[in-house]
Order: sequence, then structure tokens, then C-alpha cells
Amino acid sequence: MEQQTTNNQTHISKKHWYDRYYKILFFLPVILTILGLIYLGIFYSANGDIIYKDSSLAGGTTITLNERLDVSALESFLKSKLEEVHIRTIADISSGEEIAVLIDSPLRPEEIKPIIEEFIGKPLNSENSSIEFSGPSLGSSFYKQLIIAIIISFALMSLVIFFLFKSFIPSIAVIFAAFSDIIMTLAVVDILGIRLSVAGIAAFLMLIGYSVDTDILLTTRVLKNRNISINQRVYSSFKTGIFMTLTGLAAVLPAFLLITGLPDSFRQIFLVITIGLFADIINTWLTNASLIKWYAERKGLN
Amino acid sequence: MRKLSFRVWVLIIALLLALLMISPSLKSGVLIKNVDQESKAFESGLRNGMVLKEINSQEVSTLDDYYEISNNLLSNSSEKRISIVTKEDSFVFIDSNISYISVAKLPKSNIKTGLDLSGGARALVRPINTTLSDEEMADLVDITSQRLNVFGLTDLTVRSSKDLDGNNFLLVEVAGASPSDLEDLVGKQGNFEAKIGNQTVFIGGEKDITHVFRDAAQSAVYQAEPMGDGTFLSRFTFTITLSPEAAQRHADITNKIAIDSSSGGQYLSENLTLLLDGETVDELRISSGLKGQVTTQISIQGSGTGTTPDSAAKDARAQMHKLQTLLLTGSIPYQLEIVKLDTISPSLGESFTKNLIVLAVSVFLIVSLVLFVKYRKLKLTLAVILTMFSEAFITLGIAALLRWNLDAASIAGIIAGIGTGVNDQIVIIDESRSKDNSSIKEKIKKALFVVFGAFFTIIAAMLPLFWAGAGLLRGFAFTTIIGITVGILITRPAFADIIRKMGEQ
Repeated sequence: MEQQTTNNQTHISKKHWYDRYYKILFFLPVILTILGLIYLGIFYSANGDIIYKDSSLAGGTTITLNERLDVSALESFLKSKLEEVHIRTIADISSGEEIAVLIDSPLRPEEIKPIIEEFIGKPLNSENSSIEFSGPSLGSSFYKQLIIAIIISFALMSLVIFFLFKSFIPSIAVIFAAFSDIIMTLAVVDILGIRLSVAGIAAFLMLIGYSVDTDILLTTRVLKNRNISINQRVYSSFKTGIFMTLTGLAAVLPAFLLITGLPDSFRQIFLVITIGLFADIINTWLTNASLIKWYAERKGLN
Repeated sequence: MRKLSFRVWVLIIALLLALLMISPSLKSGVLIKNVDQESKAFESGLRNGMVLKEINSQEVSTLDDYYEISNNLLSNSSEKRISIVTKEDSFVFIDSNISYISVAKLPKSNIKTGLDLSGGARALVRPINTTLSDEEMADLVDITSQRLNVFGLTDLTVRSSKDLDGNNFLLVEVAGASPSDLEDLVGKQGNFEAKIGNQTVFIGGEKDITHVFRDAAQSAVYQAEPMGDGTFLSRFTFTITLSPEAAQRHADITNKIAIDSSSGGQYLSENLTLLLDGETVDELRISSGLKGQVTTQISIQGSGTGTTPDSAAKDARAQMHKLQTLLLTGSIPYQLEIVKLDTISPSLGESFTKNLIVLAVSVFLIVSLVLFVKYRKLKLTLAVILTMFSEAFITLGIAALLRWNLDAASIAGIIAGIGTGVNDQIVIIDESRSKDNSSIKEKIKKALFVVFGAFFTIIAAMLPLFWAGAGLLRGFAFTTIIGITVGILITRPAFADIIRKMGEQ
């Protein structure tokens, strides 16, 4: 019984704090989203696109070498011969073992292969290397289609949200949170200098679907749990939702800290989802929560 | 004994069915991928798809065993009695070696991995400057699969694929070690012409060429000769049979050609030029004895080059093999362009697969640990672990049933599907334990509203991936959708029942 009273008291003090500041909290992610949009605009004018694209989207060849070699020597060798080339190693942190070297260039395989063969001193074959080539026209058509796919995906998700809640403000709050997730994730991906592949962009579709579950939880509880206060509803959904997101983040952790020797497509999907989950924490619990609280109070859903 | 509820039974049955679909096996042996159709082993009845157990009474349980025995046979070039025991039957024939049999590791289960994990080659091809009707596309698929089959590739997929823009593609996937000349087999029109002057004598395809000899007696690669500039050249020759019409054409054309007096009357004054897609393969002198003759047997020649005699001979063998294939299968009536070509190293794929399995297990352990720390109830945690495992297992079972190739992105999809499942369970647990004083039925109803809402948004969000990018990302969308659907229909109801049982205890 005593327990109950203390709980109520902490709750009252929380209400006080949250009621005073929630409108300010609303603007924090909104400002971040606007900054993200401005950054993407500047990025676009500088690079001609809103992301850096790897050869699967821009056209070109990715060669994955399955050889132990001096990577920095390879890098300076290739940079002296080629105008544009990107080199990255895939190593397994736990064993410290280098698994592969990725060489990404806009050239065709028959143009870049001899240069690499010259460096390693033997021919490339299916034992020591993987070679992935995408024609420039195919890359740009894939890119265009994936952008369309993201737009369709976003529209379908919005439809489902409108269908679920059947009222304008709560639905828009969820949709805006998902939109901010995408913008913030894109901006962070650009700031980190990541060159997105086909799989990396596909991960944005999953992000659209995956990030709204905490928003649905929040909106459902605030609109339907009529017998506790609005702040209690927000707080109870925060406890459940943040645990869901943290579990998700804990689950992706080993891919960055333990087992890092993974295919690039897999790594990109995980990376985009991880950045998206972080963005989703602020977008759900600041923007969406403030909006739905404001809405519930206006509608008198106490 | 407590009675299991209907929903738990559904889960158990689904798990058993999934096990049946995946059917893991620990059998030893190697899988025969291809047997050359002109070989003695093929004559004796040995076919691809059989599981090799023994060669000459020596046990073959791994690929290494096979290569050791095969190399031992090669070291002695004399013909000998070879007996092969497979899981199905036993075969005996006389031959010098069995290097024409290609083998692969026996799959451990029905789960098939994608090219990025198993290794292999993929080509996306489209016609230049023309769009193909559905029938034309089907013809292209047919002729390409025939070419690759004749070439000796068996583990392959050839299909047409459409993207969001309505572009038609031909998608070719070859599993395992990939041939270096795949691009020539799928990207070339394969227009073979034999010309004398500007008159066509015969072209590739079954209309003019009724048979292409590929056995050792009527096809050969000669010892390489030094070219003087440090490179070597090796010639090849093989015999083809012309149709009566083509043979008659040959007779009519040669009849009009004069005998070249400078060769001492040995040859005709014009040569037979062999062209492939407009490029000269070889130019042959025509023996004067053939003038005006209706000959059905013609010998085709060509050459290969290399920096060593061995590599020259190897190149010649590859060129001959390719030419034989194109002669047999005829040409494609439009130009093709390879817009995507990936060849993935099987050994690289192997280390990626190993790491992905380790990763999946650690994700599993971490999530279990996090849940245990939060709820501090062993039974509850075990129930969540059981559902996570069931979801992944049933998804794999469905992938095995549909012979779906799981690539790295598909595995990311499975992990994401499990993540959604865990989230749903957290929602159900928290909602059922919430202090709000509505009835348990109300609470579960609210939890299910959230669960179904999340389910439909993920499906809606992933759906466009089925069409974008020529369907190359379909696996990612597929496993995610299957995973969450299995969760909603099978594991979540069973989990709810298990939780209720726990509550009653």
C-alpha cells in the first residue's frame, strides 16, 4: 500500500515537469529534421545527389579480394593508377583476422582486373576474388526504382496508419516521426561518408516499417487507456517502447563489435537500421509523444 | 498430464513440418554435379544428382577424398577398369580417368543459400534497342538454358525478370565455381557463319548442323607451339555433320571456285572463313578434292593462345568447347548487353556464411539475456526464446519448401523478423502486466491492436521491394514478410496460450 503512494507521488512530480516542457521537447526533433533537410540540400548541390552511391548504384565494379596482402600498399598503388577508387577491408574483430579487401571503382571489370593482377602478381579467379559489375544504366535505373519504392512504401505505411487510427492528428504524428527517421538517418549516413549500395537503400524500406511500431504502441495507449492519466499512458508506453528499441539495438550490437566479417549488403542493412533506431528514439518520444499528448488533452481524452 | 491447447499443437505441427522440409542430414559422400555426355561413365549410366560413395572400393566421404582418388587415376594415363558405387547403384566402365565428372559437397539440408554465400555467377542481360514480347523472352530463356546445359552447367537458374519500369531482363544464375566465359555464353548472339567469299555455306544451329562431335576421337586440341614472341598457340579441331541441304550448298559454291595453282593444285583459290558474331574465328584452306563434293562431314578448326604451353592448350580447349556449344544451339536474333555480372568466390562465401551463423546465434543469446535481465523470470524468458527459435526455424522451413535461395539480405530479413517478434512479445507481456484496471481481455485486445498494426505497416513498407531492381532484393522482403507472418499466425497465439498457462500456475 505504501508502495502505491510513493509511486503516485513520483508520478505527480513527473507530470509537473513533463507538462511544462513537452511543447519545447516537440521542437527539438523538428529542428533536427529541418537541419537534416538543409544538410541534404547542401549535400545535393555539392554532390549532385542526396547520397554517395557505390558501384551497384552508380555503375562500376566491386572486386572483393580474398587474399592476405598489404592493403595500404595496394591502396597507394591503385590511387596512383586510377582516378576514382575506394578501398575497404572486412576484418573480423574477434579473431583479428582480415577476411577480404573491397575495391570499388567506376571502371568495367576488364579495365580494373589487369591493374589488380599486376599488383598481386597472379590472375584473379573465382578462388581468390569475387567480382561484381553493374552497368551505369542499370545502376541508375535501380536507384530510380528504389527511390520510387521508398515513396510507395512510405505511402502504403501512411495508409495503414490512417486506417488504424482513423483520425488526422494522431496519424500525421506517426507519419511525421517516420519521415524524420528517414531524414535523420540519411543525414547521418552522409556525414559518416557511407557509400550506399542497393541493399543499403532497401534497408530504408524496412526502416519505414520497423520504426513505426513504437509510435503505434504510444498512440494506441494514449488514445485507448482511458482509466489512467495521459502522462501515465505516455510514460507506460515509453517504458515498453524504449525497452523494445534497446533490445533491438542490443541485438544489432554484435554485428559491429564481435562478428564484423560479414557481407557488405548485410552490414549496410544493419547499419541503416541501427542509425534509424537511434533517430526513432527521439522522434517517437519527443515529437510524437508531445503531439499525441497535446491532441489527447485538447480532445479531453482524460 | 496437462492438455496442450490447440494453438500450441499448431506450433508443434508447424515445427515438425519445418523440420521435414529442411531435412538436415549427416550423410557422407559427394554429389555428382555433371557427367560429360560423351563419356564412358555416362554410357554406363552414371548421372548428375547421384551421391558418390566409393571409387574402386575406396570410400569417398568428402570432396578431398574424391579429388585424391581422381588425381591418382590421372597419374596413370592407361585405360583401366573403374568401378563407382553411388547411393543408388554401382557402375563399372573402362577409362583412363574420371576428370570429366564434376562433383560438389553433399548439401547438409534442403536450405539453399544465395550466390553471395554459396559462390557462383549471376548475369543480368537485356536486348539492346528493343523490347521483347513475352514469347520472345521465353525463347531467349530457352536458348540460353540450352546453351548452358550443352556447355555442361547443371546447377543453374535461367528466368526472365521484370522491373518497375517494365524492362525485361534475362537473369542467369550459376551456383558454385563459375566458368570464366559465362559472359560469352549469355551475352553473345552466337551468330556462327561459315563463308566462302561473301557466300554463306552454313550457319550455327540444328537446321544446318545436325551433329557436333565432342568425343576424343573426333575433337582434339594439339600441342602448343611457340609463336616467337614468348606466347604460345595451340590449335583445336573437331568434326561436325552438315544437313543434306547445307552439304549441297557447300558443293554448289565450291564447284564454282578455281583451283589455286600456286599451292600445286592442293587447295582451292578461296578460303572457308568461320565467323562468330562478325569476328573471324579461323580461316581454312579448302582441299581441292572437296570441289563440288557433297560432303556432310566438315572439320572446324581454331586456336587458343597463352603465355605457357599449358595455358595455350587450356585456352584452346575452352574456345573449342564454347564454339561447339554455340554451333549446337544456334543464335539469338538480336544483340544482347550484359548489364550486371557478378562472380562470387565460393571460399569467400563460406567464411561469410560461417560468420552469419555465429552472428545469428549471438543475437539470439543477447536478446535472451536482455529479456531475462528485464523480467527476471526464467520460464517467461524460455517461452520467448522458444518463440524466437520457432519463428526462425519455420521461416527456414518455408524457404526450403519453396526452394528459396537465402542470400545475406534474406538472413538480415530473418533476424529483423525475429526482432519484430520479440517486440510483439514485449508488448503482450507489458500490456498484460499493466496496472491499468481494465479486464485482461481488454488488455490483450489492445496489445493485439499494436501487434497487428506493426505487422501491416511492415508488410506495406516491404512490398515494393518485390518489384524494384529486377527483383534482386526480393529475398530480403520475402523472409521479413514470411517471418512476421509466421509470428502473427503461429507463434504469437501459441505464446499467448503459454503465458496464460504460466499465469494460471
